[in-house]
Amino acid sequence: MFLIFALITLVGALLMFRLKNLITAGLSLVLCFIGIAGLFLLLGNPVAAALQIIVYSGAIVVLVLFVIMLLASHEEEKPEKPRGIQRWGSAVTVSALGVGAIWIVKNSKILASPTTPNVDPMTLNRLGASLFREHLVGFEIAGLLLLAAMIAAVSLVKREL
Amino acid sequence: MTPTQAFLSGNLQAYILVALLLFVIGLATVLIRRSLLIQFMGVELMLNAANVALLAFARFRGGDVQGTVFYLFIIAVAACEAAVGLAIVVALYRHKQTTDSDRADSLRQ
Repeated sequence: MFLIFALITLVGALLMFRLKNLITAGLSLVLCFIGIAGLFLLLGNPVAAALQIIVYSGAIVVLVLFVIMLLASHEEEKPEKPRGIQRWGSAVTVSALGVGAIWIVKNSKILASPTTPNVDPMTLNRLGASLFREHLVGFEIAGLLLLAAMIAAVSLVKREL
Repeated sequence: MTPTQAFLSGNLQAYILVALLLFVIGLATVLIRRSLLIQFMGVELMLNAANVALLAFARFRGGDVQGTVFYLFIIAVAACEAAVGLAIVVALYRHKQTTDSDRADSLRQ
């Protein structure tokens, strides 16, 4: 099961990276997020899996697709000038980072320790109790942040305030 | 169970590897693609890679609830980032009729 969901996730991410059409790239991002939700289920965390599907593949990707269709820029525009150094430089940097990260994870003794603890799956009950007892201030600040972001988005897009 | 079997059935190492690969693909999208909208999707992918690593560590270190609480806060911040980022893209498109990040490289009008 782990392999299936990991493959769905990585294939969706790679498709998003490669596809030229922005709409299909956004739809493959949905595929990737659904794979991540499956990984969260396997981690014994159905709450996070539900939130992943509702918030990410539901709300955020739909918002992005909405903006893509609104702006009528379905394809990437032709490059103004080649900028070869930047493109090849970033390709080399990213692949070096990827190979280095894989090497470190492969050789890590702590990550490979074979402990698979039997823990209870996360429930909304436990999450809510911790959220409203220990993290109440953070919760309120997150609400304030969302309000501020909403006002900022409206004032950025509105022509004259 | 041999290490390879443990890896394929999903131990901590496998989850961290998936998270790292997701992060690298997201970073490649931000650095190599030119459209601001797809760069934005790459940023979302990197945030999700962090989430996968966070929840994997939370599970394999004893199933603590704090990991999921922080996942909630990360989602809230990502939603704010989505709203403001897309508003900036829309404002830029109105101003310059482009969503190409290479064409939006001057601070002047």
